[in-house]
Amino acid sequence: MEKNVDKDPDHDHDDKSKGEEKAVDAVSDAHLPADDVAHQDGNSTKENVDVGNAETDHDPGDNVVDDKVPQEEEAPEPEIRHTLESFSEELDQLLSSLSLHKEEHKDDKEEKTEEDYFQIPQFVGKFLDLLEEKLSKYDSGEPKTTWYQDPEEVSSLLEAVDRVSKLMGLLLNTKSCLDHHEPLINHAGSIQQRAMAFLEDEFRALLEESVIKEPPVVPADDSSSQRKSTGDQQDHQNDAVVSQDQDQTVVVPESVDQEIEYPGYSEEVVALLRKIAEKMKAGGYGWECREVYLVGRRNILMRSLKHDCEFEKVSIDEVQKMSWDTLEREIPLWNKTFKDCSSLFFPGELKLAEKIFPGDEGSLFCIVTHCLAIQFLGFAEAVAMTKRSTEKLFKILDIYETLRDSFPAMEELFPEELRSELRNEVASARSRLGEFAINIFSDLENSIKSDSSKTPVPGGAVHPLTRYTMNYLKYSCEYKDTLEQVFKSHSKMEQEEDDEPPAAKSGDSAFASQLMRIMELLDGNLEAKSKQYKDIPLSCIFMMNNGRYIVQKIKGSAEIHEVMGDTWCRRRSSELRNYHKNYQRETWGKLLGFLAHDGLMHNGKIVKPNLKERFKSFNATFDEIHKTQTTWVVNDEQLQSELRVSITAVMIPAYRAFMARFGQYLDPGRQTEKYVKYQPEDIEDLIDQLFDGNTSSASAATAKRRT
Amino acid sequence: MRPAQDNQGSFLGRISIRRNQFVDVNNEQEQEDLELFQRHIADRFTELLSPPPQQQPPSDEANTVAPVAATEQIMSVTWLRKLMDVFLCCEAEFKAILLMGRDPTQISKPPFDRLVPEMLDRSIKALDICTAVVNGIDSVRHYQRLAEIAVSALEQRPLGDGNVRRARRALANLVVALSLEDKENTSGGGGGGGNKTTERSWSFGRRSGGSSASKGGATIGQLKSSSWAVGRNWSAAKQIHAMTGNLNPPRGNEAAGLPQPMFIMSTVMVFVMWVLTAAVPCQERSGLANHLPVPPKHLSWAQSLIGIHEKIGDEWKKKEKKGSAGLMEEMTRMEKLGHSLIEFADAFHYPAEKEASESAAAQVAEMAEICRRMEEELVPLQQQIREVFHRIVRSRAEILEVLEQAGKLSAPVV
Repeated sequence: MEKNVDKDPDHDHDDKSKGEEKAVDAVSDAHLPADDVAHQDGNSTKENVDVGNAETDHDPGDNVVDDKVPQEEEAPEPEIRHTLESFSEELDQLLSSLSLHKEEHKDDKEEKTEEDYFQIPQFVGKFLDLLEEKLSKYDSGEPKTTWYQDPEEVSSLLEAVDRVSKLMGLLLNTKSCLDHHEPLINHAGSIQQRAMAFLEDEFRALLEESVIKEPPVVPADDSSSQRKSTGDQQDHQNDAVVSQDQDQTVVVPESVDQEIEYPGYSEEVVALLRKIAEKMKAGGYGWECREVYLVGRRNILMRSLKHDCEFEKVSIDEVQKMSWDTLEREIPLWNKTFKDCSSLFFPGELKLAEKIFPGDEGSLFCIVTHCLAIQFLGFAEAVAMTKRSTEKLFKILDIYETLRDSFPAMEELFPEELRSELRNEVASARSRLGEFAINIFSDLENSIKSDSSKTPVPGGAVHPLTRYTMNYLKYSCEYKDTLEQVFKSHSKMEQEEDDEPPAAKSGDSAFASQLMRIMELLDGNLEAKSKQYKDIPLSCIFMMNNGRYIVQKIKGSAEIHEVMGDTWCRRRSSELRNYHKNYQRETWGKLLGFLAHDGLMHNGKIVKPNLKERFKSFNATFDEIHKTQTTWVVNDEQLQSELRVSITAVMIPAYRAFMARFGQYLDPGRQTEKYVKYQPEDIEDLIDQLFDGNTSSASAATAKRRT
Repeated sequence: MRPAQDNQGSFLGRISIRRNQFVDVNNEQEQEDLELFQRHIADRFTELLSPPPQQQPPSDEANTVAPVAATEQIMSVTWLRKLMDVFLCCEAEFKAILLMGRDPTQISKPPFDRLVPEMLDRSIKALDICTAVVNGIDSVRHYQRLAEIAVSALEQRPLGDGNVRRARRALANLVVALSLEDKENTSGGGGGGGNKTTERSWSFGRRSGGSSASKGGATIGQLKSSSWAVGRNWSAAKQIHAMTGNLNPPRGNEAAGLPQPMFIMSTVMVFVMWVLTAAVPCQERSGLANHLPVPPKHLSWAQSLIGIHEKIGDEWKKKEKKGSAGLMEEMTRMEKLGHSLIEFADAFHYPAEKEASESAAAQVAEMAEICRRMEEELVPLQQQIREVFHRIVRSRAEILEVLEQAGKLSAPVV
């Protein structure tokens, strides 16, 4: 640097010419006005290039280089329409010779500085002007079509930007250029900045407006939609782009049914975005591009969630205040959103970021999605914080399952360092939900324990508590694998509190032992309730009804059956048989006593008064039984018929035998009519009326059936 | 200074009915614990207040270079991280006092049947604030990245028009973001400051090319709309307000016992949430300064807290008029530097004037330093706030569990 500064620029004439020749050689006799000028007067050229460009940036089109170059030199070729392309080859040559120059002079820090000067031909300035002109045109909306809809324009612009960036890179990294061409560097940097700013805006517009599946509502209120007014011709290859013309009509893309997966850009758009990102990065403007991308994607992702999943963020506080009806409707939406994020939206974001910014390795993806993922989990926590009630179990388990099933795929998308953090967040949400579920079961236990209604169910029918509990357990068993997991992983505290380890009772299943505990509590409660019936047979019927209901529920659902096991069912059935026997004994044993054959004969002779008494007692007792027990309730048809059949099986043969043996001793006619109230068939029919829960026609039995 | 002493007798008398022998023996111990707790609170907040700012927070417009040395200045990101630590410590200590060795039925009896649910409700609201703030910090990281772009552009040598314009563009976005967030938050409160910045970025936009004009500021505005984390009608200010609505210092007998630490802890929680809300962009904060009732001045533990509160409250009132995304010290300086560098950029003509660019270089260096500190500390701060979130969730669950035990104990057993 010092060496050069020391030199009087006017005296290094020859050196510059040498440098100049080198450059010219490199471009293989390029015949450019700039070259001519340079040859003619190297000194003035240098001055032109260096000083001239200093002020060009503020008034595009007004090229100072042209101004300062003697008009007569420009004159011969003003008609030749240079374009960015026509300069490109020469520029590329220049770039490679510049890079060669840079290499050559990389090490000579002190000596040989006279070799150091690198002449920049004038066409560079023209090139920059052309690029600036192009940008101005884009900005003023002059082209009828949006530039990116014309592949030629795309490559023209992007290549030009590329060349400017390369030029800048070389100029800034070549000491001699820094020494001699700072004004040019300034000019080029200025054009580069303008091009980059343009690309940044275009990148944003493309990102936001060319999503195929985007709801058409969105661009309408977008501030950038005004820019699209220039792009009302949609007949280019980019027909996939949803855009608006001035009439606000939405151009429905033809390819809408080709179902481009989220995020819904056509291949062309993605390729273009990637190219822009590449060019911006190459020019050192990568951060701007990333920022635009981040902001754009976040907004689009949120819109998509709202649109596709009807997902709305809800505060934790709000969740606490929601009615269960409302919250119950929010939860499936949340589940869907989370699942979709895991399977569609987040992978889509990751893929898109990788496509547009290859080698980014997920860092953009994380910024776009990370906060959102955490907010999602907030909802799960929020639901787990609401006031507990048994009805919430199934929805809570739905959330639990969603986290369990959908999170692993989501987790995979994140880089290692974020994974563990997210995993902790999910683990926390899951424990909260798991504890919620477990506590629901202990609530259920408590509610069974404390259910102490004093009025027995009329007719010994199935108690509402039994119904509620069994239906609840049956449904909960539809989640049995999840519950099993929940109890295994989140019930440490429960185990501490319990004296007996719950797992010890039935295999390893914590949930099964929870169910057993509830069943035992229910049994205990029912037994206590059965004592409220003064009538022992009725309490038997009550126990049978409830027991049958429980067994039927368990047999009726494979899941709960599996949890409770066959042994349990067998034990229950044998308990039921005992109640049946008790009932039979209590009710019908006494009646059978009247039909006993002994005690009626004395010394081979019938004792008629005794016989009459027997018949009378039998009739009265049977009527009484019939009267009460028709009001009793056995809803289970099978149980009902089992009872009737077993009663019939005991009663009818005994009655028939008794009739056959002793009926003859009564005088036919009045006496028989008086004492033999029922034929065996009548008894059978009347038995068939038992357990109908028939309160109104209970007393009709006597009036009826007098054959 | 120990307001507990004189009421001790009656309080113990009342409580001991509820408590078993074991706890009774420990009453002396408990009193000690309560005093210790108060002393710790006082100490911790004194420490937060104590490394006094070497300089008043930059308030005069001329002084563009703020004190760099004051890394632990109130509201700096480092200070906020310390505040989170303080909160976690206080919370842990409080929970020990509330739950350890205590007969669960005690905290289900009056006045706790009212105080505990109120406290739990506050903690729910605090959770939403944590979420909002974590999200707000995400916005701050966005500002940081914008500032980094400006820094890297202005660090370029030779400094040319392109670099300056590039920085100008990023700074305009930054400055708009730093004030726009607030302009939207304080309904009708966005004064001249905010408008001016918007205008500026407009004119900048036009100069740099038509199409970008409308977008110079729009970028950030759009980020904002999606960055609200909490819920559509959620308002940080309203939540803070709701948290303080029923927060009254315990009187009479209650002042000597458990209600006192409950009051203290709730005050600390609300205060910390209030600070966070003021520090970073947060959803809907109008009137935030008015929402925090200052605890009575005679309470020894509250002195430093009140001191901090006054400092921040004054700043907030100032900012609320002008518009600002947050009082985080780094952001305030960033905004100031941003404006001043925009001025530099507007006045810039190539080649750079030596004097102007030297002063700009100093500012750029300061901005770079701020960015560096943000880079180091924002993510950890975010993680700490998540930790606070989870701590609050867990504590709430633990308290509820104890209450449930109490419920079981007192429930009629069949």
